[in-house]
Amino acid sequence: MLAFAVRRIAVSLPILLISTFIVFMLASLSGNPLSPLLTRNPPPPPESIALEAQRLRLDHPILERYWMWLTGLFRGDFGPSVQSNLDIGAETAGRFMVTMRLIAVAMILALVLAVVVGVISAVKQYSKTDYTATFLGFLFLAMPAFWLAILLKQAGIDFNNAVDEQVIYTIGDSSVPLPQGFGAQVADIAGHMVLPTISLALISYASWSRYQRSSMLEVMNSDYVRLARAKGLSRRRVMIKHALRNALIPLTTVTALDLASIISGAVLTESVFQWRGMGDLLLNAIRTDDVYVVMAWLLVTATVVIVFNLLADLLYAVLDPRIRYA
Amino acid sequence: MATLVLAACGGGDGGDGDASEGGIYQDCKASPNTCNAVPAAQLQQGGSLTFAIEKNLPNWNVNSSEGNVFETGMTVKAFLPWTFTTTPDLKQVVNENLLVSAEQTSTSPQTIVYEIRPEAVWNDGTPITADDFVFQWKTMNGKDCPGCNASNNSGYNQVQSITGSNGGKTVTLVFATPYADWKNLFASGTPLYPAHIAAQHGDLNTPDGLAAAFTWLGANVPTYSGGAYQIQNWQDNVALTLVPNPQWYGRTKPALQQLIVRVITEASQEPIALQNNEVQVIYPQPQVDLVQQVQNIPGVSQYQGLGLTWEHLDLNLQNEFLKDEPLRDAIFAATSVQSIIDSTVGQFNEDVTPLKSHMFVPGIDGYEDYLPPEQGSGDVERARQILTEAGYTNIADGQQLTRPDGRAVPSFRIRYTVGNAIRQTTVELIQAQLRPLGINLEIVPTDDLGQTTDSGDYDMIVFAWVQTPASFSNAEQTWNSTSSQNFGQYQNPEVDRLMHEAATSTDLAAARDKLNEAGRILAEDAYVLPLYQKPTIIAAQDEVANARNNSSLDGPTYNMEEWGLRAAG
Repeated sequence: MLAFAVRRIAVSLPILLISTFIVFMLASLSGNPLSPLLTRNPPPPPESIALEAQRLRLDHPILERYWMWLTGLFRGDFGPSVQSNLDIGAETAGRFMVTMRLIAVAMILALVLAVVVGVISAVKQYSKTDYTATFLGFLFLAMPAFWLAILLKQAGIDFNNAVDEQVIYTIGDSSVPLPQGFGAQVADIAGHMVLPTISLALISYASWSRYQRSSMLEVMNSDYVRLARAKGLSRRRVMIKHALRNALIPLTTVTALDLASIISGAVLTESVFQWRGMGDLLLNAIRTDDVYVVMAWLLVTATVVIVFNLLADLLYAVLDPRIRYA
Repeated sequence: MATLVLAACGGGDGGDGDASEGGIYQDCKASPNTCNAVPAAQLQQGGSLTFAIEKNLPNWNVNSSEGNVFETGMTVKAFLPWTFTTTPDLKQVVNENLLVSAEQTSTSPQTIVYEIRPEAVWNDGTPITADDFVFQWKTMNGKDCPGCNASNNSGYNQVQSITGSNGGKTVTLVFATPYADWKNLFASGTPLYPAHIAAQHGDLNTPDGLAAAFTWLGANVPTYSGGAYQIQNWQDNVALTLVPNPQWYGRTKPALQQLIVRVITEASQEPIALQNNEVQVIYPQPQVDLVQQVQNIPGVSQYQGLGLTWEHLDLNLQNEFLKDEPLRDAIFAATSVQSIIDSTVGQFNEDVTPLKSHMFVPGIDGYEDYLPPEQGSGDVERARQILTEAGYTNIADGQQLTRPDGRAVPSFRIRYTVGNAIRQTTVELIQAQLRPLGINLEIVPTDDLGQTTDSGDYDMIVFAWVQTPASFSNAEQTWNSTSSQNFGQYQNPEVDRLMHEAATSTDLAAARDKLNEAGRILAEDAYVLPLYQKPTIIAAQDEVANARNNSSLDGPTYNMEEWGLRAAG
């Protein structure tokens, strides 16, 4: 298993390197970070623009800039941001924690919902419950994430009005300033988390519940489940102990593969809910042609995707003894 | 001239769900400078108010090219002093919190004397003096500190000397060459920073020391304050928390216990945050959806004003076909500015009218409607007539316009900033309006406006310029034959001469006349077609007092010290 993990990482590194090169070229060639200065009215003095160009290494050829960035990484230098005061490494680390909090809670929520609804739908196939779950699943699949988030915000405001208290918030991950007292702070942070996590979770839940349902149906119709039932084991025991365990394997794969799309979903969610995570970092970097911030984002998110796929492979072994002992 | 801006102001709606009353902004059309005014004694003492801005504050030195962004400019008004303010009626007035007076005492050499109020101090008790003026002059004149990344050296590079007397409270500024826009120096757009703090981070007598101090001011969250508030806390990209400055010397003491400036980078989320009472004042770019959204929020008022930012259609004279003036005349005649307004900003502000000047906007002293009537009229027949008289043929929809020398006029690339829905509609309308002349436009959006304009990579382009109430040097920077911002390569020595004379005049009335004369020639040359002044919008909870729209670059924060909450009952 260890050799397998090492081999997977070794294969991932060249892919990561190539992707950094491609993204660096695309990001560098697609815009000019000096653009806002050039259209400012009145304009900055030419000396100021030249100083800024020099600071951003724009006086070097693009290949040299890439090489400078790549070699700088080994010294912990992520390159200059268009914001001269920004330490890209520290900023990215802080942003990563914010995003992971959002993604982790949303994924747990989505997984729990998907498994519960998927299993119930499968067990009660063609029932009203199944049809309702199917309808909701496709509804969330079809609904644009941005629109869903806005609807959730409106629902949150309606809820606040109904209870005549500020319980749910629509921007940021906490209030400014934070209220006094531990309980009030927990309530405040929870109030800020409700909408973004539901919003992000529903995007993944919709497809995952469909996978879980079909996977569960397939397992339920398999020979070994029928054999277990024939041996007199209770339906509940067969479903949970035998069927569900195997039915989770495809979902594990899908979850790991979907991570990249969850991160993309987080970009939108963070933007709508004004969380200052990796998504906000990327959007802002793209808006301002901040090439080195885009590169830091790529490095972090690509690494996360690689690690998660590796974890998914390892999870197979936990869920399926045939893999563990192979 | 004030009446023009009053007439141009949009209606205030909202307020307790009754749009007809205009809520707290019902008087803004008649009294832009005093609407929503509540005397300090009638304000709730204490409380917190949150104002939304749309960009992070990555650099605290608004006088540096990096820090010189609108949102930072609005925010630093809470804690930095300055000489002149632009009020909501677009007039430049002395900041009486800081100054007793600011006057031109001589025209030869041009001399300005600022009298600083004796009480004016930084929050550590150090008096605000001529030293602070000198520090700014040295860092921004381009000579004393070549390493300073100054936002602008216009005017500062013409100053010969700045001397302090009367304990530094009298500041005498002498220009080497006359500078008409002298009120822009040390004004709200380029406020004062504390020289004594700067001196702790660089030797202010050396270029390197000045650069080090200038950079330090940009990189570090200010603990200093010479304004009504001081910074209590800064959460990067999230919020700035301000509390009253105990050493504040101004006439109005802040009533609020806390003033929070919250960063909301997605404008579409601002009305929702306002509705949920997470923010109490917003100042976004108005769009149809956003205005409608705001109008439907109970207990919220909104008001739209017309400001100093103006949209325009530019032709690139480097294009050999567009060098021909009759073709340019025909393009401008066929373009209907009113229909562009009706389909864009007119959707949410019926008071926007076609702009008729390149040099001033309505509300600024000097505005004259000098544009030839046919320009922007949408008169296709007149356009055809111009082309026919000039010898053009194939002047019809579906044809390709042909020059007198037999060469077909190729498609022109018209550009706009990608994602800007209003500009997209504008260029689509221009495309349709020119089609009957046999002129075909290819719409090519750009995601890099600065690069596109700087490299002249367009045949036509729609974008905006921002003016200041004193815009004499500004005009030179935009239209002069050799200016780096003369993107379309317009050249007319007579215009250059008039603009230079205006910028170096000490007689403002004469300077305005010269600028209008230059504008008339510019209009006759049909190089740039002004479209309209862009509207601005403020929306606030009805409990908010003294925050009002200010369409200048000062923004609504020009009087932040007066902001408060109405006392209950």
